[in-house]
Amino acid sequence: MEKLYCTIYIVDISQNPEEEEAVTSRIQQLIEDHGGIIQRINRWGKKRLAYPIQKKTHGYYVEIEFTAKSVLNIPAILEQEYRVNDRVLRYLTYVVDKKELIQRAKKAGKKAEKEAPAAEKKETPAAPEAPAAEAPAAEPEAPQVTEPAEGENPPVAETEAPVTEEAQEAAQENEEKKEEK
Amino acid sequence: MLRWKKKRICRFCEAGDVYIDFRDEKRLVRFLTEQGKIVPRRTSGNCAQHQRQLAKAIKRARHLALIPFVSDIPR
Ligand SMILES: [Zn+2]
Repeated sequence: MEKLYCTIYIVDISQNPEEEEAVTSRIQQLIEDHGGIIQRINRWGKKRLAYPIQKKTHGYYVEIEFTAKSVLNIPAILEQEYRVNDRVLRYLTYVVDKKELIQRAKKAGKKAEKEAPAAEKKETPAAPEAPAAEAPAAEPEAPQVTEPAEGENPPVAETEAPVTEEAQEAAQENEEKKEEK
Repeated sequence: MLRWKKKRICRFCEAGDVYIDFRDEKRLVRFLTEQGKIVPRRTSGNCAQHQRQLAKAIKRARHLALIPFVSDIPR
């Protein structure tokens, strides 16, 4: 049966920042060589780890989505590689289920709605076709961006700042505990 | 006094969520105690389905070091 898989791994780039590319191309090759089709590669980038892994505090997160027949057993092949590769700090491979896809579609739909709520109300009776939702989304955005763009920026910074602080605090506490052990 | 919150509302049902994503660590953290434990259903008010999903999401997020296993100042 054809399945959609998602694999996420953390690469240690503390010694060599190019390590990530090497690992990613290797994984990519493994998937393709064994009959999988890569759907999407999403690089989350360098992130702080919530707790140290192999004494590393940061890691580079990469997410690859691919489809493959379940008989090919690609997750097991990937696991072998992850285990051998000492640049990979953590990995997770799982089958993406329907609920996740539904939620993603919902999220995408909500975003489109938020961006064009005023325009949709006016245009829905006139044009109930599918492309109508996309077209008005582009129109009202242009005039809005010029003015409230500045007003929108500060809250973004605000929400981001406390999160990183919290994460750092949590990590510090974590380290303290480990030391005492 | 013991009844901290009488309302039994599942926030995920309220939001109409079908799936709880482990990538959304900011959201998961709200269902953790200060020590990093999963908040019980009787406290959070989550329904059974969503609590199970949440637990799975939290465990995946922990594994990928998105949220801590323990975050506690000892003693
Ligand atoms: Zn619920």
